[in-house]
Amino acid sequence: MAIHEKALIEDERLQQHDELVVDGVDVSGHWNTMIAPRTVRDYDDDFESKIQGYAGGEYVHRCWQCGSCTNSCTMYAQNVQFNPRYWIYLTRLGMKEELVKDKDIIWQCVSCNKCTNICPKDVKPEGVMKALSHWMEEEGITEKAPSTIFDEEFADQIYKTGRIEDGKVAQNFFKKTGQPLLQEWLKLFVFRMMKHLPVKHLMRMGFNTVHTPRTKSWGKTGDVLKNYVREQKEAAHG
Amino acid sequence: MQQDTVLVVGGGPAGLAAAANVTSAGFKAVMVEKEDVLGGAPILSGYAKLVPSGEWAKDAIGRMVKRVEDDSSATVHKGAKVEKLEGEAGNFTATLTNGESVQAGAVVLATGFTHFDSINKPEWGFGTYEDVLTTTQMEQMVGSGKIACPSDGRVPERVCILLCVGSRDRQIGREWCSKICCTVSANLAMEIKELSPETDVFIYYMDIRTYGLYEDKFYWKSQEEFKTKFVKARIAEVTASGDGRLLVKGEDTLVKRPIVIPFDIVVHAIGMDPNADNPEISQVFGVGLEKHGFIEKAEQYTNTCGTTRKGIYSCGAAYGPETIDDSITQGAAAGGRAVADLHALVSKAG
Repeated sequence: MAIHEKALIEDERLQQHDELVVDGVDVSGHWNTMIAPRTVRDYDDDFESKIQGYAGGEYVHRCWQCGSCTNSCTMYAQNVQFNPRYWIYLTRLGMKEELVKDKDIIWQCVSCNKCTNICPKDVKPEGVMKALSHWMEEEGITEKAPSTIFDEEFADQIYKTGRIEDGKVAQNFFKKTGQPLLQEWLKLFVFRMMKHLPVKHLMRMGFNTVHTPRTKSWGKTGDVLKNYVREQKEAAHG
Repeated sequence: MQQDTVLVVGGGPAGLAAAANVTSAGFKAVMVEKEDVLGGAPILSGYAKLVPSGEWAKDAIGRMVKRVEDDSSATVHKGAKVEKLEGEAGNFTATLTNGESVQAGAVVLATGFTHFDSINKPEWGFGTYEDVLTTTQMEQMVGSGKIACPSDGRVPERVCILLCVGSRDRQIGREWCSKICCTVSANLAMEIKELSPETDVFIYYMDIRTYGLYEDKFYWKSQEEFKTKFVKARIAEVTASGDGRLLVKGEDTLVKRPIVIPFDIVVHAIGMDPNADNPEISQVFGVGLEKHGFIEKAEQYTNTCGTTRKGIYSCGAAYGPETIDDSITQGAAAGGRAVADLHALVSKAG
């Protein structure tokens, strides 16, 4: 019989031969559909210490699965698939395949650190999210983040010359991330800088040293002011 | 005169504490122990390091035994039971199985508990596979100083401890938490790791009840410093893998997945049953048992250490699952209470 609720089963666990004949009986298509079991057959004992080797992952072994991190999580409120508690558990037992299934959301952590703040065992879940993202990048499970590419370019220049050239860093970063060198924001930046250069202001300063201008419609205001101050002084000192 | 004597039944931590308190108040203690040695479960079952002191059981409990054995006001009958008890508070006569008779004004029942027999949970492999052990057997292994699989002597790569074996299980009529197994197991995990650093220890739990000050000293420490892994799964079955290892089957409730994980040693964290002799004790001493089969308490707030019969007191694991430390405290309290009540009787008569 066909499986009606295929949405509940991960694609890779559905096994079906389009054409299959067994003992002369045609069982092609859904007649031979099998579902691979979900049983966890072993733990990877070394995975936890691997993640602990990444900055932020050091305290993952402290977790006792209370769920405070997930409960407080900004991203969980947006997407219930975003579950730090679950990923920490998978990390501890070394269930890598399960982690990889969530590769497209683990990096979405916004580092609000509400989890760090609330965690009763000081696991620093936000750090674990970072560590997991970095592990995935390094293993090639996810693409390198632009920030990683930037950091690499930055460090490379230091290694080569002992200093960095801002322009060169930006240029190489754009190149490596496949972005145009003439970025829209860069054009706008230069245009505005030109527009507001203080050329006109300098000219006016020079002119004003020769010809002293008066505030518009100043008229007798100066005399009135002078008079007022004199009266105030007389009133105060007799 | 019987009114200056307290009969202490049971020579474990609670009984030893009761006897010591009785004699230090200037009264006489008569101890009756059914086994041939004093010390109770920690000595008879060969416990390793005790929770929470970390002292070896033979040293710590050994001191308690020596204190009573060296005490000129204490008489000890080993290898004997009380067969018959006649009389009333202030005036009991006990007949022992060794033929002796004891006159006492009060009785303290420090009759303890019986370890759960894992045979009663056959699906978890005890008695079927050599490498399935109980916590007491594992304690003995720790005491021997070497962690190895009983089947072939290899060093285990992985050991798992199954919690709540014989506790919190209506199927086998154990509707109580044995209170100490979580902490004992966390302690055991640390001892295994200490002796065999290449062995990884997993603890399968439903809840972790390392209550009070045991929380950080045992649960947290074993997890944070000794890398014990706590997995939330009630195990369904332990089977053989075919390559000399054991397969532990269950459901990991936190990932909603079935698990079948290979292990080298499986340890049952066995619970505390009422003393198997409790029906007999109840008959001989005329005291009631509560619904689980432990000794029934009297009204608890003004008659501490009491039973349903006046002049008969109890303490420690006879009342229900109890720690060694609290058994000792309760034993001391029961001894003190017995002496105080006798003192009141004498004053009233005098």
